[in-house]
Amino acid sequence: MKFPRPTNLRSRLTFWYVSVLAALLLIYAAIVFVFQYGVLTRQLFHDEVQDVVTAEGLLFFDSLGRLQLREDYFSRPQSHLLVDRMMEVRDLSGNVLYRSATLRGMPLGGPNKRGEGDADFDSRIVQLQDGSHAFVISHIHSMQGRTMLIRLGYSLVPLRDRMLQFLRLLLIAIPVALLLAAIAGQIIAKRALRPLQEMATRAEGITASNLNQRLIIVNPKDELGQMGRVFNHVLDRLEQAFNQLQRFTADAAHELRTPIASLRTVGEVALEKGQGSAEYQEALSNILEEAERLNETIESLLLLSKAESTGSANSKTVFPASEVVNEVLSLLQVLMEERHISISREGELIGRSGVRANRSLLRTALLNVLHNALKFSPNNSTLAITYSRSADPNPKLIMTFQDEGPGIASGEHKRVFERFFTSAAQSTASKSGTGLGLSVTKLVIDRTGGEVWFDEEMQAGAKCIITLPISE
Amino acid sequence: MSGALVSGLEASGYEAVAASSAEEGFFLVHSLRPDLLLLDLTLPQRNGLDVLRQIRKEGMDLRVLILTSHNTVEDRVEGLKTGADDYLGKPFSFPELTARIDALLRRFLTPSPSSFVVVGDLSINTRNRTASRNGEELELTAREFDLLLYLAQNRGRTVSREMLAKDVWQENSRFTPLDNVIDVQMARLRKKLDDPFEVKLLQTIRGLGFSLREPQV
Repeated sequence: MKFPRPTNLRSRLTFWYVSVLAALLLIYAAIVFVFQYGVLTRQLFHDEVQDVVTAEGLLFFDSLGRLQLREDYFSRPQSHLLVDRMMEVRDLSGNVLYRSATLRGMPLGGPNKRGEGDADFDSRIVQLQDGSHAFVISHIHSMQGRTMLIRLGYSLVPLRDRMLQFLRLLLIAIPVALLLAAIAGQIIAKRALRPLQEMATRAEGITASNLNQRLIIVNPKDELGQMGRVFNHVLDRLEQAFNQLQRFTADAAHELRTPIASLRTVGEVALEKGQGSAEYQEALSNILEEAERLNETIESLLLLSKAESTGSANSKTVFPASEVVNEVLSLLQVLMEERHISISREGELIGRSGVRANRSLLRTALLNVLHNALKFSPNNSTLAITYSRSADPNPKLIMTFQDEGPGIASGEHKRVFERFFTSAAQSTASKSGTGLGLSVTKLVIDRTGGEVWFDEEMQAGAKCIITLPISE
Repeated sequence: MSGALVSGLEASGYEAVAASSAEEGFFLVHSLRPDLLLLDLTLPQRNGLDVLRQIRKEGMDLRVLILTSHNTVEDRVEGLKTGADDYLGKPFSFPELTARIDALLRRFLTPSPSSFVVVGDLSINTRNRTASRNGEELELTAREFDLLLYLAQNRGRTVSREMLAKDVWQENSRFTPLDNVIDVQMARLRKKLDDPFEVKLLQTIRGLGFSLREPQV
């Protein structure tokens, strides 16, 4: 048989604790039981010896020579001890001289044994004809010149009943005790492990954006405190490495700015002077244009590292989401006019829900998405914008931006968010940018607590879905 | 880079001298008494801001334009607090640099407040925000008017996309979508400004930017 093993540490500790306690209680109960039986049996023996001595004094032969027990004995107060005693008196050849009424004619212990009751009070347990047991002692007694064997027994039925009752009591008490112990064990274990739970909750909340947070250590000397300390050390090193990496991106970008500035200045000055052949001027223009592309890549990298480092709440404010969308649309207005692209909006009212974010970063994120959508939209098409709200306990604003462009090649729906990814598809290759725009978007949205993805079910066009937590 | 800057500034009609270290810079500032100092913060030995602090302590009457590759708001504020008159982040466009230098030097040449800007047969009324060529009114959107006015105020000079992004679109930095917007906007302006007329005022200079000027005959 297989026991269901408790999975959590708390229940496991309680389980072992209760198991050990159960074993100990059972052993204890067994010892008490045996001891109690022994004590009661000895008590019985002692009483019977007393009874035999008393009975010996009360026995007499009547005028007919029959052995009788003096009846007035029963009027004595202590006599109740003798009420249910069983007594049989035999002569040495085995003839029954006296048999008490309580035996109801049954023999008490069969024929004489050799040496029975010779030396002392012999004790033994015998089974009567009705099946019940009796604890019997034997004693040789001489009276009026006749030697006889007195057997006196107590029925063991009351004793056994009592022991059975005791056993029943133990069987009820032990499970109750174990249950109480289990409850107490659970509570104690829970309390002891609570710091661990708190640590786990806190550790779970630590991501790349708030690596500066640490576990709270209540008692640095106990085992949990030690574990917490070790974990905090790991976090220290992780944060250090992470910062180094982040600094590297920013530093590298800054370092690249200086040579690009030189490149531009040299090129621009030469071009402004207007000297040299048209061919030279053409070459310079090309170089300057490439330098600009390079510059834009660097700016995007800096933006990424900025977005990475501003995960904390201090740079965030609450504002209506659609406000930023409309701001971006008005910036891009001229592109739409030029290409006769119209906008359809749905759920504008929901769109006014407040979101908590770094406004300028979110604006950049939305700008990249909307510019992308417009870039790939054909002339005279419509860009559909919808706002809706999820029904979660933590409501989210769901924004979708759907264009009528060529859409995203299958298998590229996730890759478009990778850094430096530009699609190899023919339809979009001519419009490729730095390949960082959407990765900036994704990073910013992630850091804001939202999600961004492209709908993979779309047959035509691309549909970008952005969710952001609503902040009332 | 300093060589190119000197040669470019000289071509724009300024007298320029380059210093290759902070010490040489001090010496030149003291001996030549220039009107304006172009200070790169990434100097070989000393921090550029220290140099600036020293100059301000001595109380010299000198415009200072800082060049730096650390172009964040905090850096800018610190630079301006230390006593810089203006701040330009790398990589800048050369036309923007000359525009800034002009603006700084003009600051003490009291600008003439006029409500009319004229370039050839183009006349812009800044008060009621209208523009006309040859007496013929141009129908411009608000953005197009701002753009045209900015180009006219910088007439004869090349205006880079960075300058347009900052001064016309009021964006802190330039980015790909904005470049796209600027180009389209410029094309639309050109359609209204130049297409109906024989004399073309708006020039595109590849790799540099745009310029509003009367073509030399």
